[in-house]
Amino acid sequence: MAIQILPAQLANQIAAGEVVERPASVVKELIENCLDAGATRIDIEIDKGGAKRILIRDNGSGIVKDELSLALSRHATSKIDSLDDLSAIATLGFRGEALASISSVSRLSLSSRTLEQEQAWQAQAAGRDMQVSLQPCAHPVGSSVEVLDLFFNTPARRKFLRTEKTEFSHIDELLKRLALSRFDVAVSLKHNGKLIRQYRISKELYKQLKRVSTVLGVPFTHHCLHLDNQHDQLRLHGWLGLPEVARAQNDQQYFYVNGRMMRDKLLQHAIRQAFAPYLGDDQHACYVLYLELPLDQVDVNVHPAKHEVRFHQARLVHDYIVQVLGSALSKIPQANQTAELYSHWTNETSDNDFSTPSVSHGYTATPAPRASSPTSVSTGGDNRHAYQSNLHRAEPPSVQELNANNQWLNTSASFTSNSASPAVKPAAESVLYPLHLEANGYLLARHQQQLVMIDVWASQQHLAFKQALEQWQQGLDSVPLLLPLKLNIEPDLLNLVKQQNDSLRRLGFSFNLVNKQQLIVAQVPKLFRKVDFALLIPSLLLAMSQLPDSEWQQPEALLSGLIKLQNKPNDFAWQQAVECCQGLQQIYADELPSTFWRLVDLSPCIAGFANE
Amino acid sequence: MISTPKTEQELFERAQSLAGLSLGELAQREGLAIPKDLKREKGWGGQLIEWCLGATAGSKPIQDFPELGIELKTIPIDNTGKPLESTYVCITPLTNIEGATWHTSNVYNKLSRVLWIPILAERQIPVDQRIVANPILWSPTAEQEQLLRSDWEELVEMISFGQIDQITARHGQVLQLRPKAANNKARTAAIGPNGQPIQTLPRGYYLRTRFTSALLRDYFQL
Repeated sequence: MAIQILPAQLANQIAAGEVVERPASVVKELIENCLDAGATRIDIEIDKGGAKRILIRDNGSGIVKDELSLALSRHATSKIDSLDDLSAIATLGFRGEALASISSVSRLSLSSRTLEQEQAWQAQAAGRDMQVSLQPCAHPVGSSVEVLDLFFNTPARRKFLRTEKTEFSHIDELLKRLALSRFDVAVSLKHNGKLIRQYRISKELYKQLKRVSTVLGVPFTHHCLHLDNQHDQLRLHGWLGLPEVARAQNDQQYFYVNGRMMRDKLLQHAIRQAFAPYLGDDQHACYVLYLELPLDQVDVNVHPAKHEVRFHQARLVHDYIVQVLGSALSKIPQANQTAELYSHWTNETSDNDFSTPSVSHGYTATPAPRASSPTSVSTGGDNRHAYQSNLHRAEPPSVQELNANNQWLNTSASFTSNSASPAVKPAAESVLYPLHLEANGYLLARHQQQLVMIDVWASQQHLAFKQALEQWQQGLDSVPLLLPLKLNIEPDLLNLVKQQNDSLRRLGFSFNLVNKQQLIVAQVPKLFRKVDFALLIPSLLLAMSQLPDSEWQQPEALLSGLIKLQNKPNDFAWQQAVECCQGLQQIYADELPSTFWRLVDLSPCIAGFANE
Repeated sequence: MISTPKTEQELFERAQSLAGLSLGELAQREGLAIPKDLKREKGWGGQLIEWCLGATAGSKPIQDFPELGIELKTIPIDNTGKPLESTYVCITPLTNIEGATWHTSNVYNKLSRVLWIPILAERQIPVDQRIVANPILWSPTAEQEQLLRSDWEELVEMISFGQIDQITARHGQVLQLRPKAANNKARTAAIGPNGQPIQTLPRGYYLRTRFTSALLRDYFQL
């Protein structure tokens, strides 16, 4: 089969496979659009579990007529417009795929009117290339999306649909999650024309608790703690079910990150860990929790359905949750008081490591500290007071602790690999180019189009001498021996070591005198690191003892003496030959001193051919 | 009892004065008995050096010279200067690690300033003839610290996410986490994969020989 670009409809159907699993996923995508459009009221009508009809109407900003057709094409969105936006996503959606995907597997119509328009318009996409047709219609300000006959053209998917009741309960469950994420939005849900759920706008904390109670049941609200903790730019708030209301299934766990419902392994681990001392293996905690952190600290572009996120400071977030929940749970009054425990304490007092306010911090610009939600209803005023008195921590964390923490925050995310290795010059550029090394230390090399033979040993000594002379003024570079060398030395030579300690130090030696015959060599000149000092040092001292006093101040004599005392090694490594060439070239660029090189005369060889 | 050195310089000079001597000579000088082998007294060499330098902390989780902020570490090496074993740093906490940071960690604390004392200690050399080598007074370079820190952060992250039992000695470029216990029956509390408390082997941080060997190579220009 030839390679070809897929038709738009097919491409959208493939994308739909990821995102549109069942009617509930359609509802999720569409409601997220409503919320992103700033709606405060959303009405949902479902027929036959959503397989027949899904209608979602909002009072959001609407879409202008000219953009309606774009709205239905893939990779079209108003939510982001650059890569930078992707790293700080404030909206629920951003991929620009939902409408196109849904409309490729159903009969979708989108009606919308903005405040400025006098007239509403309806868009529908159909056919292989998903051509969009527009027609005027009647609609209040806002948008509605009607999805008919979901999966009518993808029979395989349709087979996966469950009974009407099951599909509707998925939608109902989804709405519960959404309802808990936005208390400032009213939501109504109808099934087959009958009103099933009605969530009203609930701005005050006690009204919010009412909404929580419609979702999680009355027992939860009677056995829960309200918590609100802010640490730097992390904020965790919500309701935590006490161990008494733990359940056998994990069906009452609602966790939101920046308003987005999550089922994230990392978060679940942190919560389980905090609850571990209180719950058995088969019990599951109940909670409604909201985590808020700067947008650029989370990556939501991980999974198309956005159930998972990546935190830039994963361990910090994890540990923060463990600590806040752990310290809240540890303050639960024990035993029989729980019945009255729906007093909601807000722990604005600094009660754990994470809650010290107003320490300046490099985690990007710090916004004004959030006003913690007002402590509300609280039936038993006395009770509440009693709880709060336990709430203060012995002493706030030390400044050092905090600084260390901040430093970790600042730097650990931005490890950069430093310094590329310096470019190596290609060998071909060098004027002196090593060709072949004879075992006894003679190197055949090319020098300005001529063949030359170099005495590696003589050159090495010469180079070492030059280098040592340069270092003489401040003393030769010295390195410690891994294993100090213990030597037996004639007493008069030991005296010499004592007398001439300064010069020896300048040469890079460091000796410790053990007794009258022994000395320990601790440091040696770096230039001669590879030499056998057990042999060299006694002969060096002997040679020095014969030196007239005047020569002690002459570095040339000392250094050349030291260098000449080294024995020529039996063989040379290629690396040494290369280094030798580089060294020579650095010092003598074009013209080599004749002491350690000879021009190779090839004429006898060539003449040999003629004689045959 | 040998007095505790007052300054870093004094400690270093004292360590230098030990260089070149054998463990036998040192033990004799201090009047201590020499074990035949180190099967039962693995740490004898290190303890002897601690004694000779006047270290005070013993096996406590603080530095060996708390007043100077210096940790003492002996490294057994072969005659080419290659370390024979990884170097134990400290035990790792497995619980209550919420909010742990590199700069407050034990590893950082122990490794911020170290007096390394290599000991020529190949297996075939009898204990009393093992030779103390020249000391190195060391602080991690920025690069070394970066290496240590990124390993540490990765390991601590795994511990706090309850993945302790997935950590093997293969994790970490220079710093590894290995069981540290008298035997495999020892147990300590840790965090499990579901956030529940579990029992597991105690673990300790070790420096890979890769790290110590590079350190020796740089310093002694081997």
